[in-house]
Amino acid sequence: MKVIKIGAIWCNACLVMRPRWQEIEQENSWLKTQYFDYDQDKEQLKKYRVDSGNLPVFIFLDKAENELLRLTGEISKDKLLQFITDYKDK
Amino acid sequence: MWKKVIVFLSSLIFFCLNFIPVYANKTDVIIDFFWAEGCPHCAHEKIFLDELKIKYPDLQINSYEISKNQTNINLLQQKGRQLSADVSGVPFTVIGSNYVSGFGTKDTTGKQIEDLIKQNLSQEQIEKVQRDLVSIHLPFIGEINAKQMSLPILTLAIALVDGFNPCAMWTLLFLISLLLGMKNRKRMWILGIAFIVSSAFVYFLFLAAWLNLFIFLGLVIWVRVIIALVALVAGAINLKEYIENKSGCKIMGDEKRQKFFEKLKSVTSKKNFILALGGIILLAFAVNLVELICSAGLPAIYTKILSMYQLPTWQYYLYLIFYIFVFMIDDLFVFFTAMVTLQAVGIQSKYTKASHLVGEIIMLIIGLLMLFKPDILMFG
Repeated sequence: MKVIKIGAIWCNACLVMRPRWQEIEQENSWLKTQYFDYDQDKEQLKKYRVDSGNLPVFIFLDKAENELLRLTGEISKDKLLQFITDYKDK
Repeated sequence: MWKKVIVFLSSLIFFCLNFIPVYANKTDVIIDFFWAEGCPHCAHEKIFLDELKIKYPDLQINSYEISKNQTNINLLQQKGRQLSADVSGVPFTVIGSNYVSGFGTKDTTGKQIEDLIKQNLSQEQIEKVQRDLVSIHLPFIGEINAKQMSLPILTLAIALVDGFNPCAMWTLLFLISLLLGMKNRKRMWILGIAFIVSSAFVYFLFLAAWLNLFIFLGLVIWVRVIIALVALVAGAINLKEYIENKSGCKIMGDEKRQKFFEKLKSVTSKKNFILALGGIILLAFAVNLVELICSAGLPAIYTKILSMYQLPTWQYYLYLIFYIFVFMIDDLFVFFTAMVTLQAVGIQSKYTKASHLVGEIIMLIIGLLMLFKPDILMFG
């Protein structure tokens, strides 16, 4: 499983989520994540169909890069950990 | 979290509503208003006096119609003799031992009437009122005057709600991301502070413009009704946002954002410090003028309430400065934390959510009071 994180430097909620993800990544070193900037990585935005709604966006992908789950906005650390545990072996 | 919100709200309502000063042994200022049916000047004065009654709740207005009532004509003539005044025309207004004959506008004769009321208040009441104002004893703080405290608390509450508005924060976050990349720490601090101070100044000018507009319009009833409706709509919007419970940053205005970011980048990277400083001040002015729409309702509601108080000019502006300071608290927190820790931080949505709840309740209370009981908003 892999998590794609999409945020922006001007987005307050993205800044709130940053340290939460840092903690999660430190505690789960096996977890693969990738960050894309909303203003810089236009290609990736197109690929993951992020063009409206709210930031940040977190996309959970399985090994074959199929989308398992898409979350937006501020999410609690506990909730994220729950999803990570649920999809760990996918 | 809920406990804190409930404690905050109950103390707010407690302060704003329950501690309306109580005057002991109050003496009303009596106005005898003589008028006639079909007289347009009388009709204008009647509207003006109704508004004055709201402004000065201790005013007692005795209304005497003279075209159909002989007793009232006799009373008018008796007053004329007592005051050595010509009572051949109406409206004729007696305030204490003074009188005003006729009625032009609220700025001419109206002002004359209001000045006489104030004179009578100062002669009969002001000292008494000052003495009899109910004081509140607070632990650790001691005696405080309820009348003096109500407006600061209301200012604090509205400014806090207005300030926790993530809509206006994206520009500051952009700037912080650029400042954090600078090697020169002194330059980083000065440019950041210049941006914040300029943003605050734009908001101050905006508030001052609203305040002066309301002072100029005075007691016009429709302005009060419109502002009351704005407060009710603002309350409803806050309620909607609280219920929707959306978090995150809405994706919009790509082009505007990119343009601003490019300009900010070019300004902050200027080698000449003075040019960079001037550029950042101008940019702060421009972007904040555009972003004023974010909180159009709250400043209008607050300045309308402020204008209902009879304060010396310097006190009006002191309240505006206090409002701005509270309004900027979240920006100051984000800025100083980023500058000290060298890491950008955000404000959690739980605070925004709480501010929506508080905002909703305050606005609904203010809206209803402004419509039906404006004198309560003036805290006596």
